[in-house]
Amino acid sequence: MWRSRHAANVLSEWRVKLPEKPLDVKYFGNLKSRVIDTGICSRCLTCAAVCPAPEGITAIDGVVFENWEEKCLDCGACVRVCPRFEYVPKSGVGDYIDIIAARSKRFKGQDGAMVTEIIASAMEMDIIDRAIFVGRDEEWRTTNFHLRDTEQLSLKTLSGTKYCYSNALSELRDAVLMSKKGVGVVGTPCMVSGVRNLREQYPVFRKVKLSIGLFCTENFHWHELHEFLSKKGVSFEKLIKTDITKGQFIATMTDGEVSFPVKDLEEIIPSGCHVCTDFTAVDADASVGSVGSAPGFSTVIVRSALVKDIIGYIKQNNYAEFGDVMLKVVQKMVKLKKKREAHLKK
Amino acid sequence: MRDVKKIAIPEYDAIEKARRHVIALMTGAREAVTPLTFTIHYPKERKHMPDCFRGYILFTPENCINCWQCAFICPANAIRMKKASDNRYYPTIDYAKCIFCHFCVDSCSRGALRATKIHDVAYRDMDEMLADTEELVENPDVHREDERYVDYVLNEDDAVIKREKGEDRFFVEIPPPPDVRFVARCADPESCLGCRICEHVCESGAISSVVVNGVREMRIDEKKCSGCGLCVKECAMQILILVRVR
Repeated sequence: MWRSRHAANVLSEWRVKLPEKPLDVKYFGNLKSRVIDTGICSRCLTCAAVCPAPEGITAIDGVVFENWEEKCLDCGACVRVCPRFEYVPKSGVGDYIDIIAARSKRFKGQDGAMVTEIIASAMEMDIIDRAIFVGRDEEWRTTNFHLRDTEQLSLKTLSGTKYCYSNALSELRDAVLMSKKGVGVVGTPCMVSGVRNLREQYPVFRKVKLSIGLFCTENFHWHELHEFLSKKGVSFEKLIKTDITKGQFIATMTDGEVSFPVKDLEEIIPSGCHVCTDFTAVDADASVGSVGSAPGFSTVIVRSALVKDIIGYIKQNNYAEFGDVMLKVVQKMVKLKKKREAHLKK
Repeated sequence: MRDVKKIAIPEYDAIEKARRHVIALMTGAREAVTPLTFTIHYPKERKHMPDCFRGYILFTPENCINCWQCAFICPANAIRMKKASDNRYYPTIDYAKCIFCHFCVDSCSRGALRATKIHDVAYRDMDEMLADTEELVENPDVHREDERYVDYVLNEDDAVIKREKGEDRFFVEIPPPPDVRFVARCADPESCLGCRICEHVCESGAISSVVVNGVREMRIDEKKCSGCGLCVKECAMQILILVRVR
């Protein structure tokens, strides 16, 4: 706080660009009417990452800002970074340097545990000094976990898919301001697009050195998924793992399994996911998912030179074994998700 | 009990015994006439305190720049800022909580808080221990009965007590702090959200903003800026810094 710098590169007069206001209300009102109320909000919480208002934007199932007419500071930051305000649906496999299939030898996770491996290696390489992971509580509600040491990765709640929206981005600014080297973030394609916007708009967020996107078809509101799974006979106290393979949703518990076709879940797909066509997290530094590789392996789409270095480090230290990628399977899923464009036109 | 060593009583001859008895009798006689005690006869005497003694704290509102540093740094949460009639916030000290660490005095960049050597303050109840800003401004009313002050003088092999007539000074004149001025500036204008928290928080009205053609122009008036650093602390993106001006 009390840093003293040479007066040359600091200013006492500066300008801030304001985005256009379609409606003559405060900026959150514009965001609300254009994104949240129309149902295209993906609940990525990029807006919460920048919102400077005390008790500002939060989220329960959807994005909320109580009493925004009074509390909104009308700065326009949320509108500037929201990936859905000027929504251009992204699709395809995206630009990439390399696609690999790999399985970590050090960690155990949902499939190949490559997200954990990449974050741990980045920490060992001193690229980042903290990462935001999504953990869960006993009832499988998502919680944020600030990882600061690779030893903490042994926590079992961090790995594994939760199929619920996370609040990870709402704590991104705190993580960025506290970090000395860099921050790593793991998220769904919408969150990753938000992180890209944050980096473009505000240089402070360029400290997010590593954003890892997950292959994503859809995500669920916790309350709705909890109710749905309870009806199907899933008891959350005994639940170990949830997974989707070959069109079946499988919930593994200590005393058995519950499985049903994924199509049953269609009734509770949130509206924000209905209009999303991005399967592979095009804006990420690296995208990871199980689709496109053998069981027990993760597909990793390397999109930045930094991640290529990290993969090189993993190879050099023999931390992972590598397999074959079936790009066609990934492309098939991409095509399947692209069909959702039809929802947007409505 | 194996490790205990027994020491034999030394055996002296008759001459040595007699010599030692004489020394003991002489010491006893001297103590009877001029006793060598370290007792200070308070309140008739007071111990002479060094100038850096951390006692009761005094406040000079003219020097205060409203930076809140004293309240932020107080480890015992004894300092609360209170709004005064001139719309500025000044410290109040709760002596029920104060641990006399004087972090507040050390943190005050303009020397608005001063230390005194007063350490014996008595209160009738807890409410009275909350010292308001007005109380801190004036020298407290101390009833003094002391006629001399006392110093301990430590020699190489001996400690003596030295009594001198007169009163020990309670209020130490501290030279004013060096005239160093800070102003707030923006180190990373591109990252500014334009939320104007800095403008709301500024006590001296130095920060202003205008919207011209879809661009928000932020300005810090360096003449008005007191360098208190409140905006630096509150900035959501932590892009404001204090810069030293000469």
